[in-house]
Amino acid sequence: MSRIQLLIVDDEERFLKTTATLLEKRGIASQTASSGEKALQMIEQIPVDVVILDIKMPGMDGIETLKRIKSSHPLIEVILLTGHGSFDLAVTGMQLGAFDYLMKPSEISQLMEKVEQAYAKKQAMEQRKLENLASAPDASGAAPCIS
Amino acid sequence: MTAETRKKRESSKYSRIRRIILSRILVAPFIILLLVCGTLVYYFSATLHTRVNSEMIRIVDDHRNMIDQFLVERTEDLTFIANTTRYEVICRQQRLEEIFAMLQKSSPAFQDLGVFDHSGNHISYQGPYDLEGKNYQDAPWFKAVKEKSVYISDVFLGYRETPHFVIAVQKHENGVFWYLRATIDTLFFNNLVENIRLGKTGEAYLVNKSGIFQTKQRSGGRLMAVDPDFADAGGTDGRIITYSAKNHEGNKYRYAVGRLHQTYWQLVVRQDAGDAAAPLIHAVLVALGLIFLGGAVVVVIAFFLSSNVAHRLSLADAEKREMTNQLIMAGKLAEVGEMSSGIAHEINNPLQVMKAEVTMIGDLFSDLPPRSEQDRENFDLIKDSVNQIGIQIDRCRKITQGLLKFARKSDPVIRKISPADLLKDTLGMISHQAMLDEVSIKTRIAADLPEIESDPSQLQQVFLNLINNAVYAVRETRQPEVRIMADMAEDKVRIQVSDNGCGIPDTELEKIFLPFFTTKPVGSGTGLGLSTCFGIVENLGGKIEVNSTVGKGSTFTVFLPRAKARAKAQAGAGAAG
Repeated sequence: MSRIQLLIVDDEERFLKTTATLLEKRGIASQTASSGEKALQMIEQIPVDVVILDIKMPGMDGIETLKRIKSSHPLIEVILLTGHGSFDLAVTGMQLGAFDYLMKPSEISQLMEKVEQAYAKKQAMEQRKLENLASAPDASGAAPCIS
Repeated sequence: MTAETRKKRESSKYSRIRRIILSRILVAPFIILLLVCGTLVYYFSATLHTRVNSEMIRIVDDHRNMIDQFLVERTEDLTFIANTTRYEVICRQQRLEEIFAMLQKSSPAFQDLGVFDHSGNHISYQGPYDLEGKNYQDAPWFKAVKEKSVYISDVFLGYRETPHFVIAVQKHENGVFWYLRATIDTLFFNNLVENIRLGKTGEAYLVNKSGIFQTKQRSGGRLMAVDPDFADAGGTDGRIITYSAKNHEGNKYRYAVGRLHQTYWQLVVRQDAGDAAAPLIHAVLVALGLIFLGGAVVVVIAFFLSSNVAHRLSLADAEKREMTNQLIMAGKLAEVGEMSSGIAHEINNPLQVMKAEVTMIGDLFSDLPPRSEQDRENFDLIKDSVNQIGIQIDRCRKITQGLLKFARKSDPVIRKISPADLLKDTLGMISHQAMLDEVSIKTRIAADLPEIESDPSQLQQVFLNLINNAVYAVRETRQPEVRIMADMAEDKVRIQVSDNGCGIPDTELEKIFLPFFTTKPVGSGTGLGLSTCFGIVENLGGKIEVNSTVGKGSTFTVFLPRAKARAKAQAGAGAAG
């Protein structure tokens, strides 16, 4: 469990701080980023399994960030956080490959639950990928980019 | 949402329009009708006048000639006898008798025949009266015939004391004059003139130059009486004059008068002006009848036409107004929706922070062991306080979520559903609470209610909301009652929820569909129920209406199409993007 590499992205600094603290207390270490741009930088620098991503942010918004994460790191699972009424955006996010979405304000326990589910899914995906690679080594060149 | 005063103003506006149309439609045909009838009557009256005149002139001319002819013939009869018979012969009674018989053969108008010597002694007589031997030296006719040798007298009484007139001729024989005189049968002569008829009142009579009746006047003038309406026709040139005049009784008459050639008598033909104008009056009456009849037809047509037009106008206007109302309401709601989704979003962010903070405080406190009894009490108080913050955050969340729900353009999930079943299900959810509140819920659902294509869960939300509101509205009514009625109205399913509760004042009626408008005490309602209902019903292609009277209750009516019309969809929901 403690191995989960979590990145929380939100423009609300205080939320980042408190949530990180709370999660840490519950055994999940997390990094924080206060914008989409920063988040993209960070996933290039540190290993990340799950991203909690606020949809509405100044600058690059959650949907755009999601697209970029998914294109560069398809295996990273993204949980969308929305304070917005529009399910459409959430649905769009899901179509773009987000794992799930959560309505603000949400309980820390809900958040943890989703994070764990996402991580489990990611692990399963990686496992399958490894198996695929093992069974078809020739295909390694065509495999999606994992750096 | 229409106030009573507006309705009144509307109806007066349409009755005004109707009056304008009505008057315009009526005026033109009436003017034309009047012109046509007026012209016709005018020309007819002119023609009639000429015709009556010429008819009277013709009668006068014809009969004057006839009478003249008669008098000429009778005079010639006498002249012939005088010329062909010698005095001694005619003086013999026997011979006179023969001659008289011959005369009567010539004309039955001869009543008697007498022979007079130069000094007016009645020498011999053949006739019904005993006149022989009487002297006529001073009789006006004798004097006249001595002068003129042929004379036709006026009607006079004479020795016989009955009205008659005579024709006398003078004969010169062997240096002495003798005279032959015949009386004309008054009755016979009278008939010649009196039988002339014209219309109902038209009559003809003869008067002499002093205005004495020479024949009876059918309308009452006796023989030899003075004609009270006498007017001298003037000259002897045979001209026939016509004129209108009032008689002594004040009645108006048309006259045609012509003088005879043989005597100074004038033939008068006259007709009551009213009688003469009878065809005209008849024509006017017919014209008036036509005007009234035509007018009635026009009025009826115009009335229906104008009513129809005004009705259509009012319908079109009402439709337009309703559309405008709906557009305004939809616009309002869209604006409010956009705003509320923005607010909700902005509030959700700080709520999220607060929630995290509260969890954090809770975490910290559970890690912090109380060091004294005092601490424990304070801790409990602080925990309670933090708890309360958590509860209030949840309350805020509910509000923002309600707002978002109202603003959300969620696509309805359309299925075939039975509105009746849906209503029954909804009632099932609410009946327990209603029973506790002692509210009697009466339902009347038409048996032939068809299935419709709609979103059951959204509709259920609408019904639940309306019924809940109704139950709430009757909480202070003595015999609380909520009535639910479902039937078909034209091609739509109509569901009505009525209560006998407090009612909604006009000023509030316009706002009830706006979000956050509530009459419930703070905390009991968010004021989003009806706005959500409105949004849902509009989105489903239906329509929601309200009627309310303060103190009597309210009725909410939902119209649902049998299948959702795509074009009308999503008019009411706010934009959330």
